[in-house]
Amino acid sequence: MSRQLIFNIFRYNPQDPGSLPRTDTFILEETPSMTLFIALNRIREEQDPSLQFDFACRMAICGSCGMVINGRPGLACKTLTKELPAEITLMPLPVFKLVGDLSVDTGTWFRTTNTKIQSWIHTDQEFDPAVVEERMENDLANAIFELERCIECGCCVAACGTANMREDFVGAFALNRIARFMLDPRDQRSEAEYFEVVGTDQGVFGCMGLLACEDVCPRELPLQDQLGILRRKMGFISLKSLFKPKARAAS
Amino acid sequence: MSGIDTAIYVRQPSRTAAYLDWLQMLTGAGLILFMWSHMVLVASVNLGPQVMNTIAYFFEATYMAQVGGPIIGATMLLHFILAARKIPYTSGEQGAIWRHAKMLHHTDTWLWLIQAFTAMVILVMGSIHIWTVLTNLPITAAKSAMRVQTGFWGVFYLILLPCVELHVGIGFYRILVKWGLIKRSGRKGLHRFENVLTGVFILIGLITIIRFWTLPV
Amino acid sequence: MEYQTFYTDLLCIGAGLAGERVAVEAAANGFETILLSLVPPRRSHSCAAEGGMQASLGNCAMGEGDNPDIHFADTVKGSDWGCDQEVARIFADTAPIAVREAAFWGIPWNRVVAGKAVYYKSGQEFEAVEPQDRHGLITARAFGGTAKWRTCYTADGTGHTLLYTLDNKVTQLGVTVHDRVEAISLIHDGANCLGCVARDLKTGRLRVYLAKATLIATGGYGRLYSETTNTVINEGGGHIVALDTGLVPFGNPEAVQFHPTGIVPTNILVTEGCRGDGGTLLDVDEKRFMDKYEPAKAELASRDVVSRWMMYHIAQGKGVPSPYGDHLWLDIRHLGQKHITTKLREVYDLCRHFLGVDPIHQLIPVRPAQHYSMGGVRTDKNGAAYGLQGLFSAGESACWDMHGFNRLGGNSLAETIVGGRYIGQKVAQYLAGAEAHFDTALVRQFVARDQERIKRLVSGADGKQNVYEIRAAMQDEMMERVGIFRNGADLQKAVENLQAIYARAKKIGLRSNGLGASPELNLALKMPGMLRLAICVAYGALVRTESRGCHARDDYQARNDRDWLNRTLAYWPEAAADLPVLKYEPATKVMYLPPGDRGYGKVEIIPMDAPKEVRP
Ligand SMILES: Cc1cc2nc3c(=O)[nH]c(=O)nc-3n(C[C@H](O)[C@H](O)[C@H](O)COP(=O)(O)OP(=O)(O)OC[C@H]3O[C@@H](n4cnc5c(N)ncnc54)[C@H](O)[C@@H]3O)c2cc1C
Ligand code: HEM
Ligand code: HEM
Ligand code: SF4
Ligand code: F3S
Ligand code: FES
Repeated sequence: MSRQLIFNIFRYNPQDPGSLPRTDTFILEETPSMTLFIALNRIREEQDPSLQFDFACRMAICGSCGMVINGRPGLACKTLTKELPAEITLMPLPVFKLVGDLSVDTGTWFRTTNTKIQSWIHTDQEFDPAVVEERMENDLANAIFELERCIECGCCVAACGTANMREDFVGAFALNRIARFMLDPRDQRSEAEYFEVVGTDQGVFGCMGLLACEDVCPRELPLQDQLGILRRKMGFISLKSLFKPKARAAS
Repeated sequence: MSGIDTAIYVRQPSRTAAYLDWLQMLTGAGLILFMWSHMVLVASVNLGPQVMNTIAYFFEATYMAQVGGPIIGATMLLHFILAARKIPYTSGEQGAIWRHAKMLHHTDTWLWLIQAFTAMVILVMGSIHIWTVLTNLPITAAKSAMRVQTGFWGVFYLILLPCVELHVGIGFYRILVKWGLIKRSGRKGLHRFENVLTGVFILIGLITIIRFWTLPV
Repeated sequence: MEYQTFYTDLLCIGAGLAGERVAVEAAANGFETILLSLVPPRRSHSCAAEGGMQASLGNCAMGEGDNPDIHFADTVKGSDWGCDQEVARIFADTAPIAVREAAFWGIPWNRVVAGKAVYYKSGQEFEAVEPQDRHGLITARAFGGTAKWRTCYTADGTGHTLLYTLDNKVTQLGVTVHDRVEAISLIHDGANCLGCVARDLKTGRLRVYLAKATLIATGGYGRLYSETTNTVINEGGGHIVALDTGLVPFGNPEAVQFHPTGIVPTNILVTEGCRGDGGTLLDVDEKRFMDKYEPAKAELASRDVVSRWMMYHIAQGKGVPSPYGDHLWLDIRHLGQKHITTKLREVYDLCRHFLGVDPIHQLIPVRPAQHYSMGGVRTDKNGAAYGLQGLFSAGESACWDMHGFNRLGGNSLAETIVGGRYIGQKVAQYLAGAEAHFDTALVRQFVARDQERIKRLVSGADGKQNVYEIRAAMQDEMMERVGIFRNGADLQKAVENLQAIYARAKKIGLRSNGLGASPELNLALKMPGMLRLAICVAYGALVRTESRGCHARDDYQARNDRDWLNRTLAYWPEAAADLPVLKYEPATKVMYLPPGDRGYGKVEIIPMDAPKEVRP
């Protein structure tokens, strides 16, 4: 009943002068409920201890294990082998810098991008420990949470043709993140300030609507909708200033 | 260090990217509308050469062809200049998108590549076509039939037609999803609609070309 | 070998919630701070916490009348009186502030919706009216072992939103983050901690971090066990480097919590929120059983109690047989599609993706798994570690000790940001007065020691033992004999077996070339240290001849307040030894709440003033 799985895995260790980019093949017997997390660890423990890949939570919640699985970026820990053909090809995510084999440096990329888009609540208020919290509608809290669910796995970035062509494109993740802050009344940024961050060709106007982001996002974030809303919002902000050229951004 | 300061630079942010995106979309949409009207004009030959002549005459009598024609030409040029910003022109970028598309097996990404490729075809062949037709007014069914039946023109249209319809169909779909006019739930349906639309238009176009071919000159 | 050196005021080893919260406090006070993490900070284990964090806001109807006193009492009872009551007090008082501060920074806490609401408790539906005047304030849900509904949450991604919000704060403040860097030893001069030697996990190169203050916030050590809900990076890295100094004690190593509901076979946790919201546990006959063992609290008794009854019930032959061993069922079907797909969405996704089970219509296979490490780097109430000046610890890695022998659900996320806030302030105060000078010769000595270790592992100078086999042997041993039920004979055996495995661990040799990030070298460097931790846990458990909280001994079933109302301090002063030196200190200096009955779980107690028996 159990299949012999054939794994074709991209190999390259940039720190090893003797290593060249290549594909290695491993064969493994499939077991019930086997995920790529189980399979890769078995390969490392039983066949090749130098194999590099990243897992942390192994429950699709930390975003560590993004890789290209038979051509599609996805989370390895949440991929059941029984949903794949017997031959499985694994490659590291493109766009990000390679650490080795299937492991890429998403940390630096996301930190840089989050800094660029200023991914935090902007407010000039001070926290007062003696005062009860500001009220918020529960529905709004849920709506914010819905967009906050991104785990920065990088799949949307790796799957995006634009991001693959243009290094400076911030990717769907960042546009979704900005949409989250725009929903949040605690963030006092003005329209113009948001525009500054994403109303550019590196931001929402760089997106060509390829929608691979939407199709691969393991958290099923509503990226298509958020990108559309954001493009419209930014589009209209630009028109407004066309008719009111004096309106300056208050910082 | 990125610094603690959250204030954003005081200068007015550049709106250029936004304006260009608007223009790209509007010129694209305008061209779509034109291509649909164009289809009505040209395909009317199927109802009889006389019908086409009448419509053509109407356009010329109102000077819509003489003025509108060049405007369409200019729009196409503008649209091209705008959209060309998105087309990969360094070999590095071309390689990247090509490798990427081959890896991903993702319909919408392929559709974009088709759009970019057909755009090139349209740029060249569309220009030739417009030039030829507009320097040879008035438009009549007979003249068109003659053209289609001479030289390579038949083949020319057989190539241009699917390119245009694909480009238009994909462009139509893309405008709606990019600007959020169609939501996540409507995307599948829109995709199907776009396919049908493209298919139907190619079919009508083919019938039209055949009609021109077989129209006695 | 060349190495890079970084200087800073505060070095945080660990960038989970605790590390980041301390870093934010230090940075906000103007101190230069570097965060180290094995993974990008947002991938730290903290992001996996689903259920929520406790703070006695008392906003929701079922939390009416809650206050820090009740939270304090719940925490002390939960700890089975093993906690430091001063710390528990500080904690309960600060928790509401920390939650509001988090709200201020952007957490989308779920809010009170005024009007009638339908809830479940123990599978029963009931109605409550949420008060109009608290509409829009932060709401709470029920968690085990609490008198009031006190667990603040964001749907079921509380750890995720907290961690992302804090990391945003870190980004905003411009704190330096070095991810994929692993601390492999502390640098100290016998009295002061000066920083650490670390390995860059992108290139494999060594680095030195020198700091006026060093914080260990490396999370738990769940991966000592084969079945654990913890992420794969929770290998006790911080405990290892602290214990290796020989000066810093490992507090209460034997205090290990098991969670009742890990899914079978992957041990992924389904949140206590399931039971809090009204989910029930069923046996092979699809019948409830917790209501028979614990009539008052049923499924919502504290974790240790529920875990033990589950194992007991399985032992009675009531488990559901499966290829992965016997398990029980968790039933949330009656909560309905809407509730499951919104409030318990994470659980919903998890069951479908990792089990192929639809919890709206099907039962979820569950079994207890290791979940939380109460023990850790022993600190005083200010978070300062025993034994070394300038060393601090916070979060799960610390034995600040508000959890004693059992942590309540929702109290550990709270500990990270409440303790992080408090300890952060203390660290900032310390830094304000701290002078540091770094002896380069000493630093070089520490680096040389680690270089030598690496060289020997790569060349196989000490032997050719396979590191993965050693890890598996250790994990199985821990699960089998140092698990939920413990007894003297098994623990004795466990200590001996672990010592034998430890001997093998000293002879590890790599099979790969060890170049670059090398995962094999990475584990090999840690392996002997992990075994030392494992031996501390087993030995601490062996010596503690009572049952308290999660530490349940079949052969000593009573909680013995006369002899064991204390905290284990495990030291490893002799590098060559294969047993720690155990010392003890009173569980708490200040006793606000004298030992008593927890109101759930077992009742057998040997009181503090019971006459000494003469044991043979
Ligand atoms: C599945 C699950 C669900 C949970 N749900 C809840 C809940 O609902 N409520 C609740 O209160 N608690 C919950 N907990 C517990 C809670 O999540 C943790 O106790 C808490 O997040 C620990 O945070 P921390 O900051 O101390 O450590 P972690 O978040 O584990 O962070 C540790 C950090 O240290 C770094 N690190 C480790 N070793 C080294 C090293 N050698 N060098 C450098 N860096 C290192 C890691 O990279 C990481 O950044 C849950 C736990 C689990 C397992
Ligand atoms: C001169 C030749 C043409 C070129 C080079 C060209 C190029 C392109 C390109 C590259 C795009 C993709 C832009 C993006 O994704 O952002 C595009 C989009 C589009 N094109 Fe063209 N095109 C040409 C002619 C036409 C014509 C004749 C039509 C209509 C009949 C047309 C209609 C559209 C539409 C509707 C879009 C979608 C616009 C958008 O996404 O915003 N194009 N075009
Ligand atoms: C500027 C105004 C235009 C005019 C007046 C015009 C007119 C015509 C006419 C008269 C024909 C019939 C064949 C012939 O006479 O050769 C024709 C066919 C065709 N035209 Fe145009 N055209 C215009 C612009 C365009 C553009 C911009 C495109 C696309 C890029 C285009 C694509 C086609 C195609 C594909 C055919 C083949 C016929 C068919 O649809 O089956 N035309 N056009
Ligand atoms: S948006 Fe989705 S795919 Fe992109 S990083 Fe976030 S979770 Fe991953
Ligand atoms: S794939 Fe890329 S181009 Fe836009 S729609 Fe998604 S970001
Ligand atoms: S390991 Fe965390 S998402 Fe896969």
